[in-house]
Amino acid sequence: MKSIIACIDGSIIGDAVCDAAAWAAHKLHKPLLLLHSIEKQQQHGADDLSGSIGLGAQSELLEKMAQLDQERGRLALQLGKSLLESAQARSSHNFPVTVDTRLRHGDFVDSLVELETEARLMVVGKTGLDHGGNISAIGSHIETLIRQVHTSVLIASSPFSPPANFMLAYDGNDTAERSLERIIEGGLLNDLPCHLVMVNSGQAPQEKFDNAVTRLRREGFDVTAALLDGPVFETLQNYKAEHNIELLVMGAFSHSKVRHLFLGSNTLRMIERADTPLIVLR
Amino acid sequence: MKTGLKNEWLGNIRADLLAGLVVALALVPEAIAFSIIAGVDPRVGLYASFCIAVVIAIVGGRPGMISAATGAMALVMVTLVREHGLQYLLAATVLTGCLQIVAGQLKLGGLMRFVSRSVVTGFVNALAILIFMAQLPELINVTWHVYAMTAGGLGIIYLFPRLPIIGKSLPSPLVCIVSMTALSMAIGLDIRTVGDMGELPDTLPVFLIPDIPLNLQTLQIILPYSVGLAVVGLLESLMTATIVDDLTDTGSDRNRECKGQGFANIISGFFGGMAGCAMIGQSIINVKSGGRGRLSTFTAGAVLIIMVVFLDEWLRQIPMAALVAVMIMVSIGTFSWVSIKDIPRNPLSSNIVMLVTVAVVVATHNLAIGVFVGVLLASLFFAHKIGRFMVVKSADAGNTSERTYRVVGQVFFASSEQFIASFDFKEALEQVVIDLSDAHFWDVTSVAALDKVVIKFRREGADVKIVGMNAATETVVDKFGIHNDPDEVAKLMGAH
Repeated sequence: MKSIIACIDGSIIGDAVCDAAAWAAHKLHKPLLLLHSIEKQQQHGADDLSGSIGLGAQSELLEKMAQLDQERGRLALQLGKSLLESAQARSSHNFPVTVDTRLRHGDFVDSLVELETEARLMVVGKTGLDHGGNISAIGSHIETLIRQVHTSVLIASSPFSPPANFMLAYDGNDTAERSLERIIEGGLLNDLPCHLVMVNSGQAPQEKFDNAVTRLRREGFDVTAALLDGPVFETLQNYKAEHNIELLVMGAFSHSKVRHLFLGSNTLRMIERADTPLIVLR
Repeated sequence: MKTGLKNEWLGNIRADLLAGLVVALALVPEAIAFSIIAGVDPRVGLYASFCIAVVIAIVGGRPGMISAATGAMALVMVTLVREHGLQYLLAATVLTGCLQIVAGQLKLGGLMRFVSRSVVTGFVNALAILIFMAQLPELINVTWHVYAMTAGGLGIIYLFPRLPIIGKSLPSPLVCIVSMTALSMAIGLDIRTVGDMGELPDTLPVFLIPDIPLNLQTLQIILPYSVGLAVVGLLESLMTATIVDDLTDTGSDRNRECKGQGFANIISGFFGGMAGCAMIGQSIINVKSGGRGRLSTFTAGAVLIIMVVFLDEWLRQIPMAALVAVMIMVSIGTFSWVSIKDIPRNPLSSNIVMLVTVAVVVATHNLAIGVFVGVLLASLFFAHKIGRFMVVKSADAGNTSERTYRVVGQVFFASSEQFIASFDFKEALEQVVIDLSDAHFWDVTSVAALDKVVIKFRREGADVKIVGMNAATETVVDKFGIHNDPDEVAKLMGAH
């Protein structure tokens, strides 16, 4: 059975990730898997600048470095275990879900990619451990993660409370259509009021938008439709603030990395600026 | 990208800069010494070290590894330089780079798995011996001052790091060079210095196309050297990458490293530098000094050229004896002393492979030939060992006119003869059953051997029945695709 995978990394946002994941697991009736990955820090040990290599320099150095790594690795293991234990306690206390934990070595993104076949939804925190308390900084892994996995990702922001509505930015292209399908099939958002927003209707024909609204309504969604004009990103932000949107839903990057280099990506900008949780659908 | 470009460059700034500096200081004498081994001006090795280090920092597949002009490469190019001159060396360097890029494109980096541990050890030991031998001309027919200075230099190199505090904050080879140069200048000794060995750089390298006729004849001259250089360069680079992988417990991209080496050599050739590759000793020094990222390699190259361009008047004064001391340290540090200690514990065949590799290299002065012979020998030993995993058992069926032979094990070129010899053709039989259900036929030789056995029995008047043929010959068909399917492998190797 596929599960909800939550990345617990010990940063201040860990609790929010834990809550968001437990909420999603509860709504989707799936088990929750808490993942902590021990990311290897670069070793330093820049203490010997003598630049000389004597007999058996290589094996001696290898022995020394292995020892340093072992000590650090033991501590990281203990820390990871206790992080997972407290997260497990927290999530099973808040929601009646089955919680499993997994401790892995290596890059978070790599661990997630490996677990992809077991994943229904991945939950990550908006800022990782590296950014300290700086909430608006985007976690270094998020972009890589969204580009590499083909599973929907929920990006939690701190503190998390179950959302009361959600907003989908619609622009009529394939990504938006797929997002629509995923929302309908998914089940996570079924009983939440939906704000379907399209900016600059020139981009797509009106009928497409109307079709989308009808489709959602037919599936039983409570839809508020809005057609707006103006610069895409700012308009969406304003709408979000005006209507107290509590969850953003969007399709993943709709263009290639090369185009992104020149044009920037609305997806990434939204993630950066969002102060609400956000789901990137696949 | 697993680690991210930013992390590879800026993940470790302070330590990378420091380590790069230490490496640059250690690189200067080596680059000069390797130029002298190759028979070119010190300028050529210094330019090469700069170009290669800087380029490989950007395009290489193993962050934190140091590449520059090396002894292994210098040894391969000696005759080319002696017989045809510098311009041909530059052209050969560019061609070497092209070959290495092709090797990277063809993903030949994976072929390193055929180079056994013993061959690698032999390569390293031979390299150390050759570097040491290359220092001998500097120590023959000289005054006692040179011996004293070399001994003093070695003393400084090995004893200085034992001093408290400053011992670990200053590179001891540098201390050796500076103090020996100061000493020789102070007392005005008349001994050979770096300035006597040829031109030193006084400007940054400039782009120039090697001045050679572009025809088939030129290609015939440089191609054999380029192939040798490409092979030796990739071998040493990939071996060094493995060492850095082990030390830092991180991974490297071998094929990217091959292409990177190629690209670096092309640039080096066009900027008046000789071919180079990764350096085992310098990479260990880099890791030991805290260098992990691409920045350390880049710093080493950049600092090297700055020092060389601005300090050329001083470099000229370095006595050769001080350089010899540094190179002796390099050769001692490169030699794998553990391999000598382990000789009694290792299997005889491994020892033979190692020693033969060393002997061939020292005799031919060509690391590529040594590795080739080593790999060949190791494969033969392996084939011989596996060939012994074959027995033919026989049981008669109660009466004397029928016999069943059961073949168990690996039948291939190395065991075919033994396979044929295991049958008793003199026995008068009417019916022979050969049961192959527990045998594996690996190649055409083994199939031919089976044919021969069948025909021989038939000529003696027996009927031959073969059982389990299909299972046994499955391995003949080159179905190598199955190696990553554990179920298929288990079925093939054990189930029947």
